Amino acid sequence: MTDPLALDPILAPTDPGARPWNDDLPHDERFELFESHVLAGGKIEPNDWMPDEYRTAVLRFVEMHANSELMGVLPEREWIMRAPTLRRKLALTAKVQDEVGHAQLLYRVAEDLGKPREAMFDDLLAGKTKFHNVFHYPTKTWADIGIIAWLVDAAAIVAQQALRDSSYGPYARTMQKICWEESVHIMHGRDVVVTLMTGTDTQRAMVQEALDRWWGPLMQMHGPRSDRTKDRDLHWRIKAKTSEELRQEFLTIYVPRILELGLVIPDRELAFDEATGEWRYADPDWAELRTVVTNHGPMSEERLEFRRLNRAATAWVRDAILSEPRSAA
Amino acid sequence: MTPAVTFEPRVSAALADFLLSMADDEFVIGFSDSEWTGIAPILEEDVAMSSLAQDELGHARALYELLADLRADGHDADALAYDREPEAYRHARLLDHGRGDWATTIARRFLYDTADAARLASVGEGWPPLADLVAKIRREERYHVMHVTLWAERLANGGGEARSRFLDALEALAPDAGSVLASPDGESALIGAGILTRPMADAASAWRADVAAILGPLGITLNLANTEARPARAEHGEAFRWLWGEFTSVRRSEPGATW
Repeated sequence: MTDPLALDPILAPTDPGARPWNDDLPHDERFELFESHVLAGGKIEPNDWMPDEYRTAVLRFVEMHANSELMGVLPEREWIMRAPTLRRKLALTAKVQDEVGHAQLLYRVAEDLGKPREAMFDDLLAGKTKFHNVFHYPTKTWADIGIIAWLVDAAAIVAQQALRDSSYGPYARTMQKICWEESVHIMHGRDVVVTLMTGTDTQRAMVQEALDRWWGPLMQMHGPRSDRTKDRDLHWRIKAKTSEELRQEFLTIYVPRILELGLVIPDRELAFDEATGEWRYADPDWAELRTVVTNHGPMSEERLEFRRLNRAATAWVRDAILSEPRSAA
Repeated sequence: MTPAVTFEPRVSAALADFLLSMADDEFVIGFSDSEWTGIAPILEEDVAMSSLAQDELGHARALYELLADLRADGHDADALAYDREPEAYRHARLLDHGRGDWATTIARRFLYDTADAARLASVGEGWPPLADLVAKIRREERYHVMHVTLWAERLANGGGEARSRFLDALEALAPDAGSVLASPDGESALIGAGILTRPMADAASAWRADVAAILGPLGITLNLANTEARPARAEHGEAFRWLWGEFTSVRRSEPGATW
């Protein structure tokens, strides 16, 4: 076995004075030192002192990401049972397993910010915290499995790649692993879609029908345009890009790839404007986004209730193993 | 892979049946386990259970591929796994129950993994492709037994509800547990060809001793007498018919298509 003491620590030993906001100084001085470190591209670690605003913002951001990974498992896991070949079943099981693993990693990052995992589950299931819009919709056919893994994960990875440089160190490092796995999901999803598109007429129609349903939620996914100067998550460098920058990036990479397969994107206004260097598109239905993310989407209540029932049905297991053993084991 | 040895017909037929029963066992338990993906009692265990399911499905695929090579009738592993009527599956009766609660899942895995270990230990060098595959499978199954034994201990020592649920599940499954090690048709031919090194009855005795050695210290005695009220590997019930309906649904929606 490797001697742990022989390894270099991942984090360099703290040089006294190098992280001066940790010193016992008046609040405003600490705040200023902390802020200038972050704005200069520095990383914050869990044992650092941090302003309440920063801790709360990182926690809210990571917790919603973790919730989304956990809830995002549900639409896809229904199809693990129905995967039509051994290879697809193995790939889909592994993919959903990755998402559960991401939820675990992210809840652990959030736990270190002070909120216990059970409290995060309580808030999610009580509707007090949110999860991403795309996981509030039903999966109706096998083609949805391709479209989700290819395009929903692609839209997500555009955002997630920008988080690898987050100012919060544990989140940035976790995102490196997550992005690597998500890029494998995209290949899996594209393979499912390409196989269907080179198959029978029924299979091709299945993909187009799925794309027609998912396009709206995909365009809403990154959220409405926002004012860069007012976005505190950008200020603290928790994230790096605005919602519109992410949507434009997604369109630039994926519109040609979607069209190349012979699919039709259900937006007649979609076009690249050479003059502005940006994509023009029909205004996404922001009312739908608000409705959906406040848990009034087509599957919101059903999925939350499924999780509540499942959590209640497995509570005895957690009681048994997380408490002290009753006799010497 | 081509079978390196040519067997006389009665050995080939017995070998094909034996491969199909092992493959179907791994296929069906892999399905039951993958039903927990995303909803296991804790996230850490969720990830572990998905890995077990993938291992079992990987074993099933490798066994179906061997069978496809042996039969050489143009049916590939997917066709073997998916394109049969429910009555044609040959998994053991132990696996013919719905997923059930966590205690049922652990009890089923415990009884199956220990029995499967005894079966794998009975495979000889008579057909090298199978011997090689079994060596690989045993390396993985060793960890499955360690995992499920730990769970069995935690549930048995977990006090009131955990212990009583686990005991109930073991009692409910025990009458069917011996089905995994029921003697296959043509067993003597398989032993004669060196494909098996011992009768399954001997493997079953070793398995009962293994189970008693683990459960005994936990204060659990289980009657694993092999009652043959129903055939060990046929007449699958409603739970499997439902499962079959699910796992073939997409494939049946466009027969002959590539997925």
